[in-house]
Amino acid sequence: MNEQELMEAAAAAIVAADEEKAVDLARQALELGLDPVKVINLGYSEGMKQVGDLFERGQVFLPEVIIASEAMVAAVDILEEGLPEAEKEKTAGIAVLGTIEGDVHDIGKGIVATLLRVYGFEVHDLGRDVPLDDFVAKVKETGAHIVGSSALMTTTMVGQRTLEQKLKDAGLRDKVKTMVGGAVVTQHWADKIGADGYAEDAQEAVQKAIEIAETMRG
Amino acid sequence: MAEKYPVRMGDGHFVEMTADEIRAHLIEGSEDAADRGKIAPLDDSEYDFLLDLFTNPARVVGVPQGHEVVLTHDIGTLRLDGDQGNSGVGIPLSRLQGIQVHERAFAADTMELGHVDYSWKPVKPIIAQEQQVLENVLLSTIVPIFYGAMPNLGLYYAPDGPFGNPSDLLPMAKIDEAREAQELAVEHAVRDMVYVATKLWDVGGDAINFDTTGAAGDADFKATLHAVEQLKDSTGLAIEVGMAGEFILGMHGKLEYEGTRLAGLFPHDQVKLVEKAGADIFGPVVNTNTSRSMAWNLARAVTFVKACVEASNIPIHVNMGMGVGGSPVFETPPIDSVSRASVAMVEIARVDGL
Amino acid sequence: MGVGDPYGMPIAHGVAAGMGGIRTAGDLVARMQLAQKMRISEAKAFVADKLRISVQDLSDVTVMREIREDLDIGVITSVPGCAKGIEAKARIADLLGIKINSVERLKRKLSGPTRD
Repeated sequence: MNEQELMEAAAAAIVAADEEKAVDLARQALELGLDPVKVINLGYSEGMKQVGDLFERGQVFLPEVIIASEAMVAAVDILEEGLPEAEKEKTAGIAVLGTIEGDVHDIGKGIVATLLRVYGFEVHDLGRDVPLDDFVAKVKETGAHIVGSSALMTTTMVGQRTLEQKLKDAGLRDKVKTMVGGAVVTQHWADKIGADGYAEDAQEAVQKAIEIAETMRG
Repeated sequence: MAEKYPVRMGDGHFVEMTADEIRAHLIEGSEDAADRGKIAPLDDSEYDFLLDLFTNPARVVGVPQGHEVVLTHDIGTLRLDGDQGNSGVGIPLSRLQGIQVHERAFAADTMELGHVDYSWKPVKPIIAQEQQVLENVLLSTIVPIFYGAMPNLGLYYAPDGPFGNPSDLLPMAKIDEAREAQELAVEHAVRDMVYVATKLWDVGGDAINFDTTGAAGDADFKATLHAVEQLKDSTGLAIEVGMAGEFILGMHGKLEYEGTRLAGLFPHDQVKLVEKAGADIFGPVVNTNTSRSMAWNLARAVTFVKACVEASNIPIHVNMGMGVGGSPVFETPPIDSVSRASVAMVEIARVDGL
Repeated sequence: MGVGDPYGMPIAHGVAAGMGGIRTAGDLVARMQLAQKMRISEAKAFVADKLRISVQDLSDVTVMREIREDLDIGVITSVPGCAKGIEAKARIADLLGIKINSVERLKRKLSGPTRD
């Protein structure tokens, strides 16, 4: 198997959520002396991207996404043996997520949290009905790159605006990017309150989070 | 320079587009639905019809006389007395008065009674009150009265209910536990919904509305289908099943009804199962994308709903509301958009009601 | 239809495409959808046949106002003596040849004490 074939097989193993195959290919990659970072980025991550696309189209479902991500984690664990120490602890970014206080809707936010983990983020999911000060405290504690807040009611979306102010008051607003989502939230609202990102759905949220995190890491 | 027309975006704001741009958005929206749902896109004459709607300068448009359809009302009187951020206008009316206002002042074809929590589970402990409100409504109104509520399986998961919350369990990769919690929630939700609906039938109720079905995923839909089945066996209630989103979210992923996997079903597949369970009316949902134009959104919604109408043997009352059915995500919807969506659903999708 | 303020959602849809409730024959057509799962054209044809009018007349308020008064099945404005509430529904059940649950319950009540 050459490098290209191995990349394609690695991606296919993730799409098939075949952990055994994914791990076996990771071992083969090390034996062949391939660059582990390249194998992760162009093989396994490509597979995960395909899984994400299928999820967005309603062709695979959340448990299957998680099983695929478990296969990817197992393969990456093997490949990490070939990585320099500095690369081993790298995450895609640190994200703090939660549903605004007074709002108990958590399914959409939970999906975003799951997908962010799948894409290598360190996620701190504060849950639902989260006091705004808890968002601020967790951002401060973790040094998060992104804080994402969800609101599904017109009465709670105003909390997203207050959160912007609270982050400013705490001196954190220039250190963290804010993302907003939820059924009643729009790009217009995000622009109005000064949030850095808005997404229509979970898959788009992850893509934007990746872009934002990459920008922040320079 | 080509003439430009005002077209709203999915969040309700106006943008200006040429006729060619509108047509391109219509085609793109319809083809997106066709691609996702594996259904036919609209044809040229239907694009022409929609283009005429969007370039028509009239503030409000309407169907030709004789083409009118029946209206059913999700959310019920809450739109009048509601004051909790649910689009209600906060008028302190009783629910009986709210229904009478709809019947006599809004010329509603049907009306719906619902509780402020609007989920089946919390109605169980207060069913005696709901029965008596319904009794009074039925004595003093003429139009068919639904009782509406959401299956809302979220209320069966922690911290509101006895079972683990899949939204917490799945990110921890506790897939078996998440699936088991959903299966247990289905059993309890079916029992609660059948109990409440039967009590409403006992006091003379006409019909019930399972509103925003599937909001908590495939288990939510499965519970509703089983409740419909049991209620059609044991009562004479007419049943409407209205959806929460355009496809069934696979929070479990493996649940089936009558041998069909529920996750990922689009409206034209959903209706076949709703029909099999015995329901009388189906309310498909197509979500609005706020970053796209209403031309894109309406063509997309009409494409999905047309396929659903064609696949169905029962009346289709498409969900038209904030952010669904070709209406913008805006709580006080612009009537130019709403009336255009109405006309498109009746004239192209051939719905039986809204 | 669902979420949206009353002017923006039910009134706008009603003006654009609604049957017109008890102003016209909207409740009657809805009854047939509920009672027999009739699609809109079938339900309209059925009701029009019962009323001996055209399908187009079903949503014409000038035709239906008179028919509703003549048949005493309830009208939208307040008219002394016209059937109200369940009185109108009992007559509608007879007119359409269907059972309406609340009317059936009233009949049971009239035939003797019940608590169902």
